[in-house]
Amino acid sequence: MKEKRKGPISRAAGLAEGVAATVRRMQREREPRVLVYDPAGYARLVQPEARGQAQIMEIAEQMVAQVEGRES
Amino acid sequence: MADTLTPELAAERLCELSSDVRAAVLLDAAGSLAGAGGDGREEARALGELARRLFEEIDRATRDWDTEPPEQVEVQVPGGAVFASRTPRWTLAAVAKRGALSSLMLYDLKALLGELEGGPPIRRSRSADEGAPGPASEEFAAEELPMPELGGDAAPADDDGAPA
Repeated sequence: MKEKRKGPISRAAGLAEGVAATVRRMQREREPRVLVYDPAGYARLVQPEARGQAQIMEIAEQMVAQVEGRES
Repeated sequence: MADTLTPELAAERLCELSSDVRAAVLLDAAGSLAGAGGDGREEARALGELARRLFEEIDRATRDWDTEPPEQVEVQVPGGAVFASRTPRWTLAAVAKRGALSSLMLYDLKALLGELEGGPPIRRSRSADEGAPGPASEEFAAEELPMPELGGDAAPADDDGAPA
């Protein structure tokens, strides 16, 4: 169980920790990666060194680049 | 009554549902373009071809896995993200902004494909100013937000095979 913070400095530190954790999580979620989901919704990461991962990333980059090209 | 979702409108509807979607395409079982949102016809065709190749590569990469073939895919790349979902009949792929929420994107893709396959339509929420389409009663609210019934046929089975 998380210990309750008492003083104002302690509370501010707790808030900062929470913000930092959120930023870290958002950065982690945006790291280049390939995730596949089975019909039940379970996610599985295609490891960077796995066969085909580079091709999948390349195709996705082409898709994004094509949309960016249209928008610019 | 809500408009019936047709293959031609599905990708467009996805773009309307989420402001994070920059372009979307729907492919049929043969991999041909069935609908597009946010693109010109030629660009959409090129995007559709890439979406088809994406699932080909996914299938190749996961061929040896001891799981069912993936139904959905999420690829995060430096400039954005690609989400795609498929059924035996359709493949819906979307290029999204960098900050798009994966869970929401995947839900929208799956819900739209479900609607295409004859499932219930996705309804937009209404503000209080627009007024409710029906009487404000508990029965109506229950109909609007159906909850799964416990102990029904769809309940998962226990380890010993007995329904939960």
